[in-house]
Amino acid sequence: MTVEEIRGSVGVSNEIDRFPIGMRVLAVDDDPTCLKLLDGLLRKCQYQVTTTNQAITALKMLRENRNRFDLVISDVHMPDMDGFKLLELVGLEMDLPVIMLSGNSDPKLVMKGITHGACDYLVKPVRLEELRNIWQHVIRRKVESKSQSKSNNQDKTNNGGEGGQEAGSGDPNGKLNRKRKDEDEDVEDNGNEDDDPSSQKKPRVVWSIDLHRKFVAAVNQLGIEKAVPKRILDLMNVEGLTRENVASHLQKYRLYLKRISQQANMVVAFGGSKDASSYMRMSSLDGLGDFRTLSGSGRLPNAALSSYSPSGMLGRLNSATGVTLHSLTSPSMIQPTHPQNLTNSIGSLTKFQPVVLPTPPNHQNTNLFQGIPSSFDLGHLHQNGNKPNTQIPDFNPIDESRIFTGPSSFATLGSQSSLKMASSESFNLVSSSSSFLDVPPPMGENFHDQLPPNSSMKYGYSAATNTIPGFGSNINSTASVPLEAQGQRHGQYGKPSYSPYSSNAFSTLAAAAAAPPVNGGGLGGAVSQANDGICGVYNRSNGNGATAMQRSRETERSSTELKMGSGEEYLLEQTKLPSGFVANNGYDSLDDLMNGMMKREQDPTIMMDGEFGFDPYSFGSCIQ
Amino acid sequence: MDRNQMQMHRQIANIRKSLFDQEYLDEQFIQLEELQDNSNPNFVEEVVTLFYRDSARFLYNLDQALEKRPLDFSKLDSLMHQFKGSSSSIGAKKVKIECTHFRDYCNARNAEGCKRTFQHVKKEYTTLKKKLEAYFQMSRQTGPVERACRPR
Repeated sequence: MTVEEIRGSVGVSNEIDRFPIGMRVLAVDDDPTCLKLLDGLLRKCQYQVTTTNQAITALKMLRENRNRFDLVISDVHMPDMDGFKLLELVGLEMDLPVIMLSGNSDPKLVMKGITHGACDYLVKPVRLEELRNIWQHVIRRKVESKSQSKSNNQDKTNNGGEGGQEAGSGDPNGKLNRKRKDEDEDVEDNGNEDDDPSSQKKPRVVWSIDLHRKFVAAVNQLGIEKAVPKRILDLMNVEGLTRENVASHLQKYRLYLKRISQQANMVVAFGGSKDASSYMRMSSLDGLGDFRTLSGSGRLPNAALSSYSPSGMLGRLNSATGVTLHSLTSPSMIQPTHPQNLTNSIGSLTKFQPVVLPTPPNHQNTNLFQGIPSSFDLGHLHQNGNKPNTQIPDFNPIDESRIFTGPSSFATLGSQSSLKMASSESFNLVSSSSSFLDVPPPMGENFHDQLPPNSSMKYGYSAATNTIPGFGSNINSTASVPLEAQGQRHGQYGKPSYSPYSSNAFSTLAAAAAAPPVNGGGLGGAVSQANDGICGVYNRSNGNGATAMQRSRETERSSTELKMGSGEEYLLEQTKLPSGFVANNGYDSLDDLMNGMMKREQDPTIMMDGEFGFDPYSFGSCIQ
Repeated sequence: MDRNQMQMHRQIANIRKSLFDQEYLDEQFIQLEELQDNSNPNFVEEVVTLFYRDSARFLYNLDQALEKRPLDFSKLDSLMHQFKGSSSSIGAKKVKIECTHFRDYCNARNAEGCKRTFQHVKKEYTTLKKKLEAYFQMSRQTGPVERACRPR
């Protein structure tokens, strides 16, 4: 790849030739002194700097126009959102390089940065020399993506890889693998095409909802452990897609699932061991066996979950929200704002059946998770378009559980916005909780009945909804789906365990919810409420994600509406996820997330957001 | 530059040097100075002022937190962590050192140690503030040309 090519892709037209001069950086730090210093340093490097002291504002700016920035630098400790969460969301939604900044050089934090996808980690006080080199991360990404496109075209991306080789380390999945395996690769990477690296600027692969769905289906089919890019690629059978594309997508997916499962753990832990059976079910679904432990003990299945130690997560949750998950468990917490909604959502939760709910015909996203049930229940939410009613049930616990069990890594994939992640996470949690309730999800329709309006379940939801504060928008769409429509699901979910967080979410959700009458029920409104409750739990950790989840669930119900417009969008966006929540098959959530994301990207006009009053958080910049 | 000015410059330079020698300031302060230029003529002073304004609330919060019984060490630690990050950004060396001590005591859950160290932190913080204020004032009097002459 020639330098010109790379430069050209950088973005700022008038600065292309002078890159890295003029590279557009977004700096986020709540400490004004540090922010000012960072601003000064970056200007000294002749970058174009935009600063903000709020992560939420940063996310908003990024979502509004993904192409406005080349790089993001973010502090780790911020009051409104955890830096790592922002990092994940940015990575998932906008795929921009993110550099973490902290006063702490604790290796654990650095590791965390890595697992969340940061491309670098700087320790304060930052020095000018360190900042002079950060442009490499932007180039590296461009090169990698180029190589991916190239390989798409020619089945061989060695060139791309080469081009990006300098950044080889940047994308282990991609380049290096590519290069090494190029020789061995048979079909796709037969690589020795004379790809002239500088020959063309191939567009990056856009992971549309359909594509993502196929991806998830392939992964599920193979089993998450056995899912290797080559096989996935074969199963997907999509022309022009390279192994590298799949590989990097898989990487993100895994991260997402991991995150979700972590969340789930949290929930589980709190939810209590009530529904061991339900969990079992959940876990059985996609083999996320780990969750089994969840159900039983109610303890966080750390082992199963991702690298985040549950305690860490909880810690975060606690501190951040101030509302510990424990509160979730307390019955008082559960406040079923919309009893119906809750039931629905809960029902879905309980339904946690690992089974991948068969995607209703109208539900496009459901397939995404076939293989990976729990993580993406959200897909379920997706249903909204078609049959909210039926959909929703599926959505229930199963989705939730899916979410949990699913590799949280995918969360990153799915959730464009933090909401998404949150939602999935929240879902997870919620689902876990639901599972606790022990509502044996007959998969699908019967959720409502199953969920006993137990507190455990309840709060799962409520917690979730709470979390929505920021992302309300996303969730709203999904969540809003009136659970009521679903009927009985859980009456109580409303428990806003995380009231501080959920409050915001709720309003958004409520707004969103109000809109979709999806099934014929007032789900929309109710749902959002429920979502809020549920999301509450994750508010902190997911921040918005949780709520998103919630919402997605709800939206699922109301999916009809949601689905329609943003169908895809919802998927990914947690909040919007109609299917997000325990999507029919449970895996929908992920798919939904993905779809949502993609949708958003593809169709900025998707109204889901608008309908529900989402705010710009919706996936604007989908995966690209 | 006339004699007087030269003298003043020298004086300022000396003050500055002593701040470094006495370890009130460290390398980071020099970074700030380097960022100051024609387009950003008062950068250093601006950052320092911002720091003092913003950090006041940390100190206040820390004071409050230290009054509580029992002490919430993790909260104290987290507050101090942020404060430390800020002070290191402007190169407040002694302040930073005391902050580190404070955090060590926090980790050891030593309440007395924390309170004692916190007094040190405040003392260093206030001392530095006065010195910097004097320094900036003098610099302003001698004029911006001083910046360029500052010895490194």
